[in-house]
Amino acid sequence: MNPAPVVRLRALTRSFKQAGNTVQVLKGISFDIFPGEFVAIQGTSGSGKSTLLQIIGLLDRPSSGSYELAGRNVAHLDDDALSALRADTTGFVFQNFYLVAYATALENVFLPGFYSNKIQKNARERAEFLLKNVGLGDRKDFLPARLSGGQQQRVALARALFNEPALILADEPTGQLDSATSSDILDLLTKFNRQGQTIILVTHDAHTASYAKRRILISDGLIEKDELRASS
Amino acid sequence: MNKGGLHSGVLLSNAFRQAWMAVLAFRLRSFFVILAVSLGIAALAVIVASMEGADRKIDELVSNFGPDAVFVSGGSVISRAVGQRSKSITWRDVNTMRDSLPGVYITAPMSFKGQSQVVYENHNFQVNRVMGSTENYAQIWNWPLDIGRDISTEDLARGADVCLVGEAVERELFGEGNAIGKTVLISRVPFTIIGKLSARGSSGGGDSMDETVIIPLSTMIQRFNQDRQYLRMVRLKFLDAQNMDMHADNIRTLLRYLHGLDENTPDDFTIITALDIQRFISMIKGGMFIFLGITAFAAVCVSGFVLANLFYISVSERCVEVGLKKALGAPRASITAQFLCEAVLLTLGGSLAGVLWGALFSLALTNTLFSIELSWTVFLYSVAAAVLIGVVFGLKPAHRAAGLEPISALKGTGDNG
Repeated sequence: MNPAPVVRLRALTRSFKQAGNTVQVLKGISFDIFPGEFVAIQGTSGSGKSTLLQIIGLLDRPSSGSYELAGRNVAHLDDDALSALRADTTGFVFQNFYLVAYATALENVFLPGFYSNKIQKNARERAEFLLKNVGLGDRKDFLPARLSGGQQQRVALARALFNEPALILADEPTGQLDSATSSDILDLLTKFNRQGQTIILVTHDAHTASYAKRRILISDGLIEKDELRASS
Repeated sequence: MNKGGLHSGVLLSNAFRQAWMAVLAFRLRSFFVILAVSLGIAALAVIVASMEGADRKIDELVSNFGPDAVFVSGGSVISRAVGQRSKSITWRDVNTMRDSLPGVYITAPMSFKGQSQVVYENHNFQVNRVMGSTENYAQIWNWPLDIGRDISTEDLARGADVCLVGEAVERELFGEGNAIGKTVLISRVPFTIIGKLSARGSSGGGDSMDETVIIPLSTMIQRFNQDRQYLRMVRLKFLDAQNMDMHADNIRTLLRYLHGLDENTPDDFTIITALDIQRFISMIKGGMFIFLGITAFAAVCVSGFVLANLFYISVSERCVEVGLKKALGAPRASITAQFLCEAVLLTLGGSLAGVLWGALFSLALTNTLFSIELSWTVFLYSVAAAVLIGVVFGLKPAHRAAGLEPISALKGTGDNG
């Protein structure tokens, strides 16, 4: 067994106040994710999976329970410390790609480098290498508007890898893509995982989740199932 | 252990790089901000430049007038118009001042007649004035001769028909040729040119000082039949230029005594020193400072508000960009720095454009009272003002951007995920 988990959640809850009522979205989540795992968090809309991902990605804070990311308890970190930890340890992939529209593919890839000290030398070369790695070596000077959805998401994948994050967080990464392009993206994630990258994939779709080695099924704010798949 | 924070220099240079990209990307916004700021800076450039111009004018007028000089003229400049002033300065006053005033080393009475025809062969030129002077005109007026000799004691004693001409007179009548030794007719009286004054340009009043002819005072009185008892004015110079106010008081006391004025009678003469000229120009300068200052302040504020508005809109439009950068780990300071850098880059662009506007404007204003020249001071003030505008008016929008919550900012554009 791996000695230290990348993600360690214990009795995590998150509730929102809505029109006077308190709505509990996460009702006590506990699990560990170890280096090298490829985990799918699967659930229907409103199950709380996105909220969980945001907490894991340090974009949101739990209401109670504890969370350690890469060995650090995040409960007492201030905003700037959270930002720094986020820059150094996580790489986000979003459903809507979210590339900076006025920056070229290459510039988008090295954007995370602006916020972390990890990659200081040869940032440009690293960005070019990562673009080649996702098959876009010849598109590095294109603006996002001139790239297809699948290509944009591949730029976002390269970007997520830039700071050598301990953890990639992919939130419905194929939600805007057709099925052929979707499997390209999922194949790339699988390839990264084989190279040792820890990945958390959030999706509502069972087929998408099937690419992961482990599946955590969330339902109504609780873990319904946490199972390993037969490795492919 | 690395706490993960960015070194502030790295943060700033990264923010600058991103700001530069955004400035190039949002061209229309960049254009309007630069335009607005440039107008404010142009106003500022003109005010600084004209203040400097005023200072130069003071120096020039004071040195032309002579920092050690005093003018005494008959009548009160304040209560009577030119030509209606009573003649009150007599030869006796002049002699007494020369003999009794402490520290005086030149006492030069003078007289003049107004516009006069000067004719050489078939060339004809109308000069602004003909001046009657005692000997050593150049020394009295701090106005060196280019060529020839000055009026001498002998010229004065003989009432010689000799004259000095200004630069414009020589140019108009002789072209580039040497005027020395030629004979000209001044109001139909023949005079021989013995010297030429160096070029001096326009006086404070705007007419050219170079359109002048100087003849001996005695000749002036005899040939043009002027008053033999009273003089138009006297120019005095003092050894000690530090105490001109004291010298002016001495002159006033002496003349009031000589003219038998009692305490209730106002002066029947006027004393002007270089200090008075300095005060006068400073007063004009103060007026300009207030007028232009308010204009520049208003223009700078307007440009600042334009900047703030456009940046507010920009932050709203770029919600997703901000949210994304925060999700990628950008600290608040980094977002603030990026938007501030954008603002300052644009205002700096505006300041360059503004200095150019100012240069065009000051070209249009040459030959007015103050010459306006752009200088390094103007440039530095403009840059400082631009940075200030950028920071002051960019701060609020930048803070707003930095304060956006990443999750809601990312959803800010119709995201349904």
